[in-house]
Amino acid sequence: MTALLEVNDLVKRFPIPGSGKVVQAVNDVSLTIERGETLSLVGESGSGKTTIGRCVLGLIDPTAGQIRFDGRAMGRGRSIRARDLRGRIQLVFQEPAESLDPRMQMGETLAEPLRYLGMNRADREQRVREVAEHLGLSERMLALYPTELSAGLQQRVGIGRAIVTRPELIVLDEPTSALDPTARAEIVDLLIRLQGELGTAYLLISHDLSTVRFISHRVAVLYLGTIVEEAESERLFARPLHPYSIGLLASVLLPDPELKRSSSISLEGEIPSPIDLPPGCPLAGRCPFADARCHKERPPVVSVGPRHLVGCFHHDRVAALDQTIDQFARFQEESNRLLSVGAD
Amino acid sequence: MSGEDLILDVADLWVAFPSYRAAPVHALKGVDLQIAPGAMIGLVGESGSGKTTLARAIMGLVPPPGVVERGRVLFAGKDLRRMDAEARRHLLGREIAMVIPNPRAELNPVIPVGRQIANVVFHHLGVSRKEATGVALDMLRAVRIPDPERRLNAYPHELSGGMAQRVVIAIALACSPKLVISDDATSGLDVTVQAQVLDLLRSMVQEKGAATLFITRDVAITAHFCTRIAVIYAGQLVEMADTRAFFARPAHPYSIMLLAAFSHNPALRARWTRAAGEIADAAGEGCAFAQRCVRRQPRCLTDIPTLRAIAPGHLARCHYPVEERQ
Repeated sequence: MTALLEVNDLVKRFPIPGSGKVVQAVNDVSLTIERGETLSLVGESGSGKTTIGRCVLGLIDPTAGQIRFDGRAMGRGRSIRARDLRGRIQLVFQEPAESLDPRMQMGETLAEPLRYLGMNRADREQRVREVAEHLGLSERMLALYPTELSAGLQQRVGIGRAIVTRPELIVLDEPTSALDPTARAEIVDLLIRLQGELGTAYLLISHDLSTVRFISHRVAVLYLGTIVEEAESERLFARPLHPYSIGLLASVLLPDPELKRSSSISLEGEIPSPIDLPPGCPLAGRCPFADARCHKERPPVVSVGPRHLVGCFHHDRVAALDQTIDQFARFQEESNRLLSVGAD
Repeated sequence: MSGEDLILDVADLWVAFPSYRAAPVHALKGVDLQIAPGAMIGLVGESGSGKTTLARAIMGLVPPPGVVERGRVLFAGKDLRRMDAEARRHLLGREIAMVIPNPRAELNPVIPVGRQIANVVFHHLGVSRKEATGVALDMLRAVRIPDPERRLNAYPHELSGGMAQRVVIAIALACSPKLVISDDATSGLDVTVQAQVLDLLRSMVQEKGAATLFITRDVAITAHFCTRIAVIYAGQLVEMADTRAFFARPAHPYSIMLLAAFSHNPALRARWTRAAGEIADAAGEGCAFAQRCVRRQPRCLTDIPTLRAIAPGHLARCHYPVEERQ
C-alpha cells in the first residue's frame, strides 16, 4: 500500500531579487505520512517547517523533488485547489482570530468549504451539524461571530472548518501557539480524539515540543531546511542522537523546578542565515562535536534503529556521552503524583 | 519588612475601564504585591486576567479611558501615584524599566540600535554622548550580541527576533534600574533563544541587585527563573508562594488547573477542569473562580474569599484550599 503522502528529495530555494543570492529554505527533505498518522516537523524559526507545509499543499512549487499525495504527483499547477483534490487536504492556521472571517457566523464559516464541493444546502447543513457535534459546539454558538468567542473556541472552529470536508490529511501550522495553556490542552485533546474518530492524518508544524511529544506518532527535527533526525515520538524524546535534537529538547521548560535543564550538550548562538549555506553539516558552527570533516562534508542520513534516522557523523559519540532523560515522561509521572489529591 | 526596604509595595490597587451604558469593568480588584531586592516574582495568568494592566498601573501608564480608582504604589518608599509627571518621568527608564514583547514594534525602525540604547543612557544619566555610546557597546556585549561594534550601527530590521529582543533588554538594563518589569518578553522567541535570553535576564538582574516582576502566561518558565510565584485570576491574586512551595504544594484550584493543563493527561485535567460551556460570568457575589472551580461549595457562591496565609509565606484566596498531601 502506498503512503498517503510521500515527499522525495524536496528542495525549495527563494531567489533574493537583485542580489544574485538565494535563500536555501528546504534542502533534500524526504518524508512519508501514512493514513491516520501524525508526523510532526519541529525546529526553530527559519528551519523551513512552514515552507515544507506550503509545498505539500501545492501552494508554492518546489524547486526540485517530488510530492505524491495518494500515489499521484502534486505541484506544477496541481494544488489542493485541483478538482480531484478539493477537500482531501486541509489546513489549520496559527492565529484563529486572523484566519476566521469576522463577518461570518460560525455556522457559515463551517459550511463555506462545502460550497466548493458542489453540495446542496440540505447536505451542507447536515454536515455542519455533524461537525458541530464532533467539536462540542452548541446550536447557539453556530450563530456567533468570531469576536464573540474565546481564542480556544475560535481555534475549535478553525479545526472544524478543516474537518468538514472529511479530509485525509490536515496540515496544522502552529495550531496551539497563540493559545493559553488551558485552551491549548483542550485543542490537543480535540485533535487526538478527531484522529481516532475520523482517521485523519496530520502534518503538524510546531515548536511547542510538549504538544508534539504527546500528539505525534513520528517526529522529524529540522535544522536549516534539512531533516537532521527522525524517529518515533517516544524514541526521539527518550533517546535523541543528533546534537541539535538534544539541544532543542534541553531548552524546553516544564512547570517543575526540580526538572532542571540537564544536558551535557548546549548549543551556542543562533540559527545562521539560510542564504548561501556553507558546505558540510549545517550545525557545524554551533556543535560541540564538530571537527574538520563536519565543516567540509555533509553527513549522510543513516538508519540507527527501527524507523530512526540520524544525519550526524558523530552520533555514536553523542550516544555514548549524553545522558538525556525523557523529561516529559518524568514530568508526567511527577504531575500525576502531585495533582492526584484533593479533587472531590 | 518595612515599606522602606521594599523595592515595590503595591496595596489595594483597583483599575477600572468604563463601559458604555454599563457598570465599569474592573481589570484589577484590590491587588497587593510586595517585591524585595533580589526577588524575581513570576506573575502568572491567562489572557484577560489583568497581568498587563498591573504592569501598566505600576508604571502609571494605564491606557485611557482606564483609571486607577484607588490603591497605593510605593517604589522604594516613594508614592508613584502622588508624584508629579516630571518626577515620574525621571524614574521611568532610569529606576523602573519595562521589557515588552514584540521587539520590532518596540524599537524605532529608523534609528540604529546602538543609538537607541545610548539615547536612554544620555537622557537619564547625564553623561556625554561619547560615554553613552560606550555604555551602549558594553550593553550589547553584556547581552551577548555577536560582533557588537558592528551591530551598534545596525537597524532593527537587520537583526533576528532573538537579537532584537536582546537589544530591548539592553535598553531596559542600561541605566541599572532597581525594578525590571518583563511583560511576556520571551513569548515570541524560539525555545533555545528563550532559554538564553532568560538566563541573561536573570544573571543581569542578580549582578545589579535589582528585582524583577516577570509576567507570563506560561507557568513553566517561572519554575526555572523566579524566586516567588503569584497567580492572578480575574484581576485578583489568587495564590502566592515561594517557587518550590508553589510547585510542590499548589493550593488554589485554579493554580492546579493551570498546572494540570501541562500534564497531557486528560483524566487528570478533567479532574481539575469544569467543562467549557458551563462557565458563566461570576457577577459580584462570591469567589470569582467559583464558576469554573471543581471544588465549589455553596459558600463559594455567596462569600468572597480573602487572600490568607495557609502556610508561612504561602497565600491563597480560597475557602477550601488544597492543603493535604500524601
